[in-house]
Amino acid sequence: MENINEVLQLFLATENFIAIAVGVLVGVVVGSIPGLTATMAVALALPFTFSMEPVAAILLLVGIYKGGMYGGSITAILIRTPGSPASACTLLDGYPMAQQGKAKKALQMALYSSVIADFISNIALIFFAAYLAKIALNFGAPEFFWLICFSLTIIISLASGSMIKGLIAALLGILLSLVGLDSVFGSQRLTFGNYNLMDSISFIPLLIGLFAIPEIIEFYRKKIVPHIRAKASGAGVSLAEMKRSLTSIVRGSLIGVIIGAIPGTGATAAAFISYSDAKRRSPHSERFGKGEVEGVAASEAGNNGVAGATLIPLLSLGIPGDVITAIILGAFMVHGLTPGPILFQENLPLIYALFLGIMLSSVILLFVGSAAIRYFSLIADIPKSILFPIVLMFCVYGSYAVNNDTFDVWLMLAFGVMGYLFNRTGIPAAPFLIGFILGPMFEDNLRRSLLIGSNDLSIFVRGPITWFFIALTVGSILLALYRFISARHKAKQAANEPEANA
Amino acid sequence: MTSSHSTGSPLIKDLWDVVAGVVLLGFSLLLLFYLIPNYIGQPPIVQNPMMSPRWLPTIVGWLLAVFSVLMVVQGMLVADDSEASERRFERGPWMRFALMALALVVYVGLFEMLGAIISGVLATLILFIAHPVRTLWVYLLAVAFPVSVSLLFTEVMNVPLPMLPF
Repeated sequence: MENINEVLQLFLATENFIAIAVGVLVGVVVGSIPGLTATMAVALALPFTFSMEPVAAILLLVGIYKGGMYGGSITAILIRTPGSPASACTLLDGYPMAQQGKAKKALQMALYSSVIADFISNIALIFFAAYLAKIALNFGAPEFFWLICFSLTIIISLASGSMIKGLIAALLGILLSLVGLDSVFGSQRLTFGNYNLMDSISFIPLLIGLFAIPEIIEFYRKKIVPHIRAKASGAGVSLAEMKRSLTSIVRGSLIGVIIGAIPGTGATAAAFISYSDAKRRSPHSERFGKGEVEGVAASEAGNNGVAGATLIPLLSLGIPGDVITAIILGAFMVHGLTPGPILFQENLPLIYALFLGIMLSSVILLFVGSAAIRYFSLIADIPKSILFPIVLMFCVYGSYAVNNDTFDVWLMLAFGVMGYLFNRTGIPAAPFLIGFILGPMFEDNLRRSLLIGSNDLSIFVRGPITWFFIALTVGSILLALYRFISARHKAKQAANEPEANA
Repeated sequence: MTSSHSTGSPLIKDLWDVVAGVVLLGFSLLLLFYLIPNYIGQPPIVQNPMMSPRWLPTIVGWLLAVFSVLMVVQGMLVADDSEASERRFERGPWMRFALMALALVVYVGLFEMLGAIISGVLATLILFIAHPVRTLWVYLLAVAFPVSVSLLFTEVMNVPLPMLPF
């Protein structure tokens, strides 16, 4: 009873409601502007959370994440430009529907399926996070060491292109995370005598630099693209269409939940799997890709089903599954909280207040999404030439706000240039960020294990949990190698085919 | 207009990969043979080498060197031919890019000297000229934005920004 009172006290603060509403609104707006991403918005919003209470701070970021997921589908449907990679699947049927004058129907279906999937995903989060955290209470340093090894190996899957580049990115991230004072011996590591680096590299300038500055640089590097105007026209979704699509929505949501709970897989995969599953089961599979409303429902359910589920490994194990959850992890750290089983033990009311807020965000998404459909043209007509200078201001001020020092602003700029070079060379930024976060955790658990085991390496194979994670680590490496080899094989076959035809 | 991405000569399938691989290889060697020995302090007694502050950076350095070599090999053998590759785009005029770079340097470099508002106004004006923005009244926003965003940070978020030089 005391806990319930505490949860309600934490949740019912006005600041939380404002944070969720503003977060979802910002997410939808940013997501529906081509060129601006939800990741960028979450990174830029992080400095705003410094002066907020932890629950409101996390809810603001979660709201932006969820709003951004839906917002990305608006541009995918109306102007064939997915606001996020996960929305790429939505345009397969959404854009043909818009061309047929059924844009409003597609947008409404995307919204309703997103909200339903989001709700199902939140339920899964509430049930599974606590359960997983309970299991994780039995983990000691060696178990966490292997869990982090497993998470580092599945980083490979975050690298959508080359496995080698993904690994290089993760290694660079780990290396940068080691800059500063050594936690055991207190000796300086790669600080070059600069006192600003002694407390390690600040997370926020790195984040802003990596995810916002490259977008600005690329905008001014690329040829100017003419602005496309679009309007949500036509009739809305009928009850019969909603009923017909409901099975695909629920199935897609469950696919999203399962995929989202596995770190490193992501919403894009969930959207495409859900879409192909709906297509395979549909009696009208020939209509898919030509403007089938069920296709929009399935892909949106898949990508939004991931949203709540990605928070399962973060909250229960302290492991971020993707870039946005890595940023949310940063927000926890800013407020002196460490996600994981201990958080469930020591701050249970906070966790449940967060759960309530996350549930509420689904309802708010429904209202904000409906308004966005109506006023989309107003949002999308803001030229990027006006938006990007404002984004730059947020980048500079946000970085400065960390320590009130220009050094962090220079650092942000340096990471921005690095992010741009990453984009040009195809080195993915996501494994870099995950490496940066997991690097110190890896070293810390390795050293703690050695200290507990008095330098005896057998501590790393001390029980069934360690063996379980060793098996998962080896399995994920083998799977990545298999995928790498089969992708090469397919590419070779595809290259040989035209030659053979000739 | 030229494409930013070139697949290089027949000997090199992806020039960017080869160049990046060589740069990373150079960096990893610099890390292993100069930075780690000179810039990571080693305590006098370490019971287990895995406890040493140099252990993980050394492992990372060697792995980085190996994967950099693999990246060079990949660049020589495999072309990035995917149609959807984000590495392919049509470049705009170089002046636009140069002005953007100038805006970034002006903003960050003069941030403390001129204050957030004046450096913000300068950077925004340069970015508007870079695009270029042709509607004259929009240039008024170059003053309105830095003032309002600065006030948002100082008044709402309590961030003590250096507002003005005086």
